[in-house]
Amino acid sequence: MTIAGKRIKVQGLVINLVLLTTSLIFIFPVFYAVMTSFREPGYGLTREIIPKVWFFGNYERLFHYGRFPRYVLNSTINALGGSLLTCLTASLAGYSFARFRFRGRGFLMAFVLAMMMLPALTNLIPLYKLASDLKLLNTYPLMITIFGAYGVPLSIWIMKGFFDSIPVSLEEAAAIDGATPLGTFFRVVLPISAPGLLATFLINFVFNWNNFIMPLFMLTRSEMKMATVGLFDFQHALEGNQDELLAAACVVIMTPAIVLFIALRKYFLQGMVEGAVKG
Amino acid sequence: MRQSRVYPYLLLAPAFFLMFAVTLYPTLYSLYLSLNKIEKGRMTFIGLKNFQTILGSSDFWESLRLTLIFGFFYITLTLAFAFVMALLFNRGLRFGGIYMTLIFIPWVLSDIVSGVVWRWMFYRDYGVLQNLIGPLFGDKTLINTPAGAMGIVVAASTWRAMAYVMLLLLAGLQTIPRDVYEAGAIDGSTGWQAFWHLTWPLIRPVTLVVIVLLSIESINAIGMFLAITEGGPGRSTEVLSLHMWREALQFFHFGYGAALAVVMFFINLVLGVVYLRFMQTESSLGAA
Repeated sequence: MTIAGKRIKVQGLVINLVLLTTSLIFIFPVFYAVMTSFREPGYGLTREIIPKVWFFGNYERLFHYGRFPRYVLNSTINALGGSLLTCLTASLAGYSFARFRFRGRGFLMAFVLAMMMLPALTNLIPLYKLASDLKLLNTYPLMITIFGAYGVPLSIWIMKGFFDSIPVSLEEAAAIDGATPLGTFFRVVLPISAPGLLATFLINFVFNWNNFIMPLFMLTRSEMKMATVGLFDFQHALEGNQDELLAAACVVIMTPAIVLFIALRKYFLQGMVEGAVKG
Repeated sequence: MRQSRVYPYLLLAPAFFLMFAVTLYPTLYSLYLSLNKIEKGRMTFIGLKNFQTILGSSDFWESLRLTLIFGFFYITLTLAFAFVMALLFNRGLRFGGIYMTLIFIPWVLSDIVSGVVWRWMFYRDYGVLQNLIGPLFGDKTLINTPAGAMGIVVAASTWRAMAYVMLLLLAGLQTIPRDVYEAGAIDGSTGWQAFWHLTWPLIRPVTLVVIVLLSIESINAIGMFLAITEGGPGRSTEVLSLHMWREALQFFHFGYGAALAVVMFFINLVLGVVYLRFMQTESSLGAA
C-alpha cells in the first residue's frame, strides 16, 4: 500500500472513532434514563450508572401512579387527532400548490412560509384567552385544532414536494376517463402518495406527542393533561425520592418518538431540510 | 398545468382557515390584549401603559440580558460543534447513517423529557456529570450556581439542536460540486486553504440561515428552562420566555404578559425578515 493510501485509511479510522464516541455520548442520557427506570423503588439516584440489582416493576407501578395512564391516553387522542386534521387539510392545500397555477399563488405560498415562522410561544396568552372565552379550555377539540393548525405550514411544503414528484400524466388519463377533479385526487393521487402521507402523519404525531408548552397552558385540569405536562408535575413530586418512577415515565414518553424516528428517519430528515432551507 | 378559477382556492380553504383561526388571529389579538389591563376576566383599556411598565421594569431588562447570554453561547456552541460534525459526515462514511441516527435521537425527544434527564445528570452528589465536571469548578453543585445553571441549559439545548443544524450544514456542503475541490487540488491548495477559499464562501449563506434560525429558537426556548432550572437559582435563569410564563400563569397578569409576548413577537419578526432575506439571496445563488 502506498503511503498516501495508508494515510487515508488512518484518517478514516480516526473520523469513525470520533463519530462513534460522539454518537455514544449523545445517546447516553437516553441510556441513563432507561437504566434508572430499572432500579429498585427508592434507589433511583445512585452513583453507579448500571443498577446492581435489576427491578422491572417500575412500569407497572407507574401504571397505578396518579393518572399516568389517563395522561398517555390524552396524549394519544390529541396527537392523533391533530395529525389527522393537519394531513387532511395540508394534503389538499399541497395538491393545489403543486398542480394549479392561479392568481395569488406566489403570495399564498409566501404566507404559508410566514406562518411557519410565527412562534407558538408568543401566541400562548391570546390563545388561552380566546379558548377561555369560548369555554374550550381543557377539551380535546381545542388541543386537536391547535395541533392541527400548527402542523399545517410544514406539512403543506412536504406534501407539495410529494405531489410535485408524481407525473401529471396519470391524472390527465383519469380526467380523460371522466373522473372529477376531486375524484382524481382521492382515487389516483392520494393512493400513490400514501407512503409520503403516512410519513407526514407520523412526523406530526411525534411533534404533537412531544409538545409540552401548548398543553401546559391549555390543559390544566388533571384528567385532561397530556403525558409531557404530567411528567413536569411528576418531576416536582418524585425527583429526589422516587426517581426510578420518574425515569419510567420518561422512557414511556420517549419510546414512540424514538421508534417512529428510526423507522422513518429518511422522511424526517428530508422534511426538516426542506422546511428550513428550501422554503 | 391546469387552469382553473375556483377549484384551487377551494382546496386551500380548510388549511388557510386553520392557519387564520389558530395562528394569525391570535397574533393580532395579542396586539389588542396588550393594550388592556386584564383582571379576573375583566378587561380595561389602558393604551400603551403595559409597554411603559415593561420598559421601566428591571425584571424585563434582566430577562432580556439573560436571553441574549443564553442565545450567544447556545448559537456559538451549536454552530461550532455542528460545523465540525458536518465536515466529518461529508466524508461519506460507511456507517454514516448509523451515527447520524444516533446523534439525531436527542432532537426527537420532548424538551421536557430531555430537561428531566439533564437535571438528573447534575443532581447534587449523585449526578453523573456533576461528579465528572463538578471537581473542575471547586466541587460546587453546578445547578445551584447562576452560571452553572445557565451553562447546563446551554449544554442541554446544544445537545438537542446540534444534529439538526449539522444536517442543514451538511445539505449545504453536499451542494458543492466535487470538481471545485479537484480544481483546487490542481492549483495546489491545502486542506485549510480549500476550506477557507472554496467551502466557506459556498456554505456561508446556509450558515447565515442557521444562525437566524437558532436566534429565533433561543428567544422562544422555554421547555428546557422550565424542566432544568425553572428560572432559578433565584431568578438567575429567568429568560424572557420564562418571565412571560410567570407573569401569565403564576401572577395572572394577562395584559402585561400579552405585551411581553408582543415585544418578543417583534424580536421574532425582525429575525424572520432577516431570515427570509438570507433565503432569497441563497436561492438566487442556487439559481445562478
